Amino acid sequence: MKMNKRWLPLIAALLAVLMLLMPAAKLQVHSQIAPEKAAQFPASIAMHQVAAGNALPVAAEPALAAANLGQGYLLAGLALLVVAALAALVRKPGMLVASAAGTLTAALLLYTFAQQMSNVSNSLLFTLLLEVQAWIWIPLVCAIVQLVMVVVFILKEKDTLALDDKAWRKLGALMALLAVLCMLLPAHVVRAPQTITETPADAAAMTRSLTLWQEALGKETNLATVAAEQGVFTNVLSGDLAALEPYSGDATNISGLFVIQTVTTAPNAMLIAGAALLALAILLALIPKVDRWFPLCCQMLALVLVAASVLGVMTIGDGDMFTSATRQLSKLGLGKVTFAPMLMVLMTLAAALCGVMSVRTADDPYFINPIPEKRRNQVVAVLLVAVSLALMLAPGINYSFTKPGMNKVQSTASLSGAQAMVFSTPENILSPKSTQGKDLYSDTASKKGNMTADGVREIMSGMTRTYGIATWVCIAVTVAALALILMRKNKKAVVALLLSAAVLRAVTWLVVTLQMPKVIGSAAGTFALYGSMPTLVFGAFFAWFADQNELPKKYKLFLMMLPFLLAVFLFSYLPLYGWSYAFFNYQFGKPMSEQEFVGLKWFTELVTNQGHRDNIVRVMKNTFGMSGLGILTSWMPMAFAIFLNEIANVRFKKFVQIFTTLPNFISWALVFSFAMALFAMDTGIFSKFMLGIGAIDQPVAWLNSGEHIWLKMWGWGTWKGLGWGAIMYLAAISGIDQELYEAAQVDGAGRWAKIRYITLPGLLPTFFVLLMLSISNILSNGMDQYLAFQNSMNKNTIEVLDLYVYNITIASGGTTLYSFATSIGILKTVVSVTLLFTANFASKKLRGESIM
Amino acid sequence: MKKQPKQNDMNRPRHIKLSKGDIAFNIVNYTVFLLITLACIFPFYYLFINTISSNELVRLGRIQLYPREIHLENYVQVLKIDGIMDALFVSVARTVLGTLWTVAGCAFLGYLVTKQEMWLRKVWYRLIIITMYFSAGLIPWYMNLRNLGFLDNFWVYVIPGLVSPYNVILVKTFIEGLPPSLEESATLDGAGYVRVFVSVILPLITPILATLCIFSAVGQWNSFTDTMMLMPSGKNYTLQFLLYKYQREAQSLAALVRNTQDTNALANVATKQTSLSVQMTVAMVVTLPILCVYPFFQRFFVKGIMIGAVKG
Repeated sequence: MKMNKRWLPLIAALLAVLMLLMPAAKLQVHSQIAPEKAAQFPASIAMHQVAAGNALPVAAEPALAAANLGQGYLLAGLALLVVAALAALVRKPGMLVASAAGTLTAALLLYTFAQQMSNVSNSLLFTLLLEVQAWIWIPLVCAIVQLVMVVVFILKEKDTLALDDKAWRKLGALMALLAVLCMLLPAHVVRAPQTITETPADAAAMTRSLTLWQEALGKETNLATVAAEQGVFTNVLSGDLAALEPYSGDATNISGLFVIQTVTTAPNAMLIAGAALLALAILLALIPKVDRWFPLCCQMLALVLVAASVLGVMTIGDGDMFTSATRQLSKLGLGKVTFAPMLMVLMTLAAALCGVMSVRTADDPYFINPIPEKRRNQVVAVLLVAVSLALMLAPGINYSFTKPGMNKVQSTASLSGAQAMVFSTPENILSPKSTQGKDLYSDTASKKGNMTADGVREIMSGMTRTYGIATWVCIAVTVAALALILMRKNKKAVVALLLSAAVLRAVTWLVVTLQMPKVIGSAAGTFALYGSMPTLVFGAFFAWFADQNELPKKYKLFLMMLPFLLAVFLFSYLPLYGWSYAFFNYQFGKPMSEQEFVGLKWFTELVTNQGHRDNIVRVMKNTFGMSGLGILTSWMPMAFAIFLNEIANVRFKKFVQIFTTLPNFISWALVFSFAMALFAMDTGIFSKFMLGIGAIDQPVAWLNSGEHIWLKMWGWGTWKGLGWGAIMYLAAISGIDQELYEAAQVDGAGRWAKIRYITLPGLLPTFFVLLMLSISNILSNGMDQYLAFQNSMNKNTIEVLDLYVYNITIASGGTTLYSFATSIGILKTVVSVTLLFTANFASKKLRGESIM
Repeated sequence: MKKQPKQNDMNRPRHIKLSKGDIAFNIVNYTVFLLITLACIFPFYYLFINTISSNELVRLGRIQLYPREIHLENYVQVLKIDGIMDALFVSVARTVLGTLWTVAGCAFLGYLVTKQEMWLRKVWYRLIIITMYFSAGLIPWYMNLRNLGFLDNFWVYVIPGLVSPYNVILVKTFIEGLPPSLEESATLDGAGYVRVFVSVILPLITPILATLCIFSAVGQWNSFTDTMMLMPSGKNYTLQFLLYKYQREAQSLAALVRNTQDTNALANVATKQTSLSVQMTVAMVVTLPILCVYPFFQRFFVKGIMIGAVKG
């Protein structure tokens, strides 16, 4: 039995080999090519032709010999895959691991092949010539499947290399080192044949390679720079490139590459970070005292970063014509991706796996905290205070400068605590610039009352002075607290100092924002300024418990809870602040202090303004109409459940249940697609049917008409929700005591009597709760459905409250009705909450049970 | 049909003969449920046969009950439309990340709120639960996300979903139903809250987590109004939103169709893309993932809603 399973990887490998018979790409001949030459181009090329290296019609077009389709990777990958699958058959310790390693390498080789094919097909040269087929990715898929199988075998048969955790750790460091070394290997190689142009110097200048390290640092120049420096590429369209030019579609494409001037290659931050993490992992792995979780975390993070950045490095897209010379030439079809990037991924993956093994093989696989227990709270406190000190030095104030009397922000600048502490103000704060880069203020005031440049300078340096002094005080207080924490002395003083520092920060923020004259612009705190306050508070919190081994449990739990409370505050409570818009004539872009206060104007307009009132009445009619239809028919899911329960055939019951709940899981946009297809005016099955039975004599625009829209919407709502709504009742029915039915049976009760006297009373509580909830939700029937179905013909009768609010604000693009819409929202919430409490009260009175 | 009720019939003794009324009832009942089920499946089937049949016949309205002149060109062409792959990526990313984030958050929070010893536990719990019953309204919600810098930001799909009160209640109820002795013994062994949660609680609450996963994933996959409101400059479009957009903007769709047509010089009438075919095929592409995972997860949500029903 086991032996049979071991054959499975071989099937995957053979399947991958079989892919050789499949087409790799379609060849499309450009119209500029002469017909007799075009006849020599095959319509498609197969994978085995790619492997054999005779895929492209070199006879017809010698220049195509320069193109590299990655045949080596394909051959090596497939061979290695088969060898690895065969290795899995050998029943010797360690063979499975070897097989997995081989399979993994094969997978990476096959990936490189597919990527190379895709790069070449996307290349400028082959844009119109080579259309890659999905088949080139199938060998990779086969390899991954094989890898999964082999890994399953390893886990099942516990076939591992017999190493202990220390050995794994060292091996992980070695692998990480190898991964870093991979960065020195070339990632992209360009080999231009001598005949590519008439001047050999051109070909020599094109032949180059780009290592991953260069890639990470962004050290590459564009071809125009190379041309200027070396005096080459004066006439690139003279040799083979000239022959290839017609394939590139636009006659200027190839030569155009060599004159691209504005190329800047940005450093690849992800790759650098990945390499840095690998280096850190090596370091941490070599220090025995460091817990094995630390190198593992570094290796894992490095793996993610390296894999993501390397995949980007290997892909040459259309935009890469503008990134580096090597890629530019690869776009010509002259370059190839080497195996080095994938090797780096392989090594990083190996390092991460070694890290995992070092944890798994250890006697105590759990995290060992290197900090002694009684010092932990102190360390946390010190760290937090240090962070708050850093935040105080970081940019703390954001200035936005406007033109006098205008709202539009012309320029922004930030002032850091460090700058303020030496009382030096950056020039872009002292003399604010406009969006065009001109000085906003001149030496003489342009209008009466406007500022001069000197006046602004004075004010801004005054602001810096204020902020600087405040920062000095804050830092002094915090450093004093830090010293006390380190000496483990007087925790009351520490807490007092830290809390007063936090208060000082808040006062600083208040003073600075208020001190800024409105004619110049505005000042706001940065994330660093706000962030320093909670950091100080938490620092004080941990400093208080610095002499204890552990935090008291109740606070520990509270700390864990805090992020969630913050999220609830940010996304549920903070929006309530927006209710204030309803009392202003809210305009975008202005701070709240400059909005015009209008009191209850918007609320009274709901009633007094004819236009608004008519709209609200119409919308409320629709809302109540459609919600009302839903509530009137809310017994339907219950009936559905009761009658479904009467079906004795279990299979049929399940079949019904599965397929009637399905519509609940698709979006309203999709439902509308169904509606569009089924109810299309002349092609839909509904029209055909109605025409066929003679109910209508000409096609009707079912979806566009505004007639009976409430009924139609109710119909779709029922289609989507009926089966789903019944699940709750089916659950309740299964909770009813079976003995009741048996007793009724003995008493001679029939089907209907059982439904009437047992099932129905059993379901009524559930029904009642759901009914109450739907009544309290009467105003919020959601907008997805009505949004999807809405069009200009039915808008009047389909617009419910939620949709109306959306339509008059965000959808219309205007911002004049934001305040009005907010006031509607407030009323809606108030009504909903009142209804809910009423329903809850009624429920308590009637059933003695609350629904909330 | 008449004989079916006798099979697998566990409730009723077999020797009792069905009365005439029973038989009539069964016939009606089975027929009605069969019709309802067909009504639920048919739109899926109808859309599907329309996407794989000759587009010319579809245009003429000749594809109604079964496919004719089957081809897959619609799918091939739709996957080539500019932006579809990006939208697919965004949809998958938000579904995976959003689900993991919500489920992880609600699971841990659900565990935390069962801890009686927490400082002011009841206050925090009520503060969280009460958010279920009120909402600030569309504009404040929108302005809040805007002020927090979430406009045109992919993470708006993920981060705000951390706490969902209903899910927290479900998890809390479930954990409270577990025997407390398991947790106590782990605590005696010196495990902290996090380790107790990871190694004791988490394996035990997988049924409810599976349910939450499905609900959250389906919600993420299906949502399109958030893209519409929160992505004004056209970044991070999802598949559902593209579908909605295609339904709205027949013109841009026609342009897209023309663009995809150019590369396909050999296209004949049967496989030529129409705005209808593109719209229907995108709809099908959006549906297929749900249809694929649905059968596997069906049993989980039935279980999950039962847990929810207990709470009522």
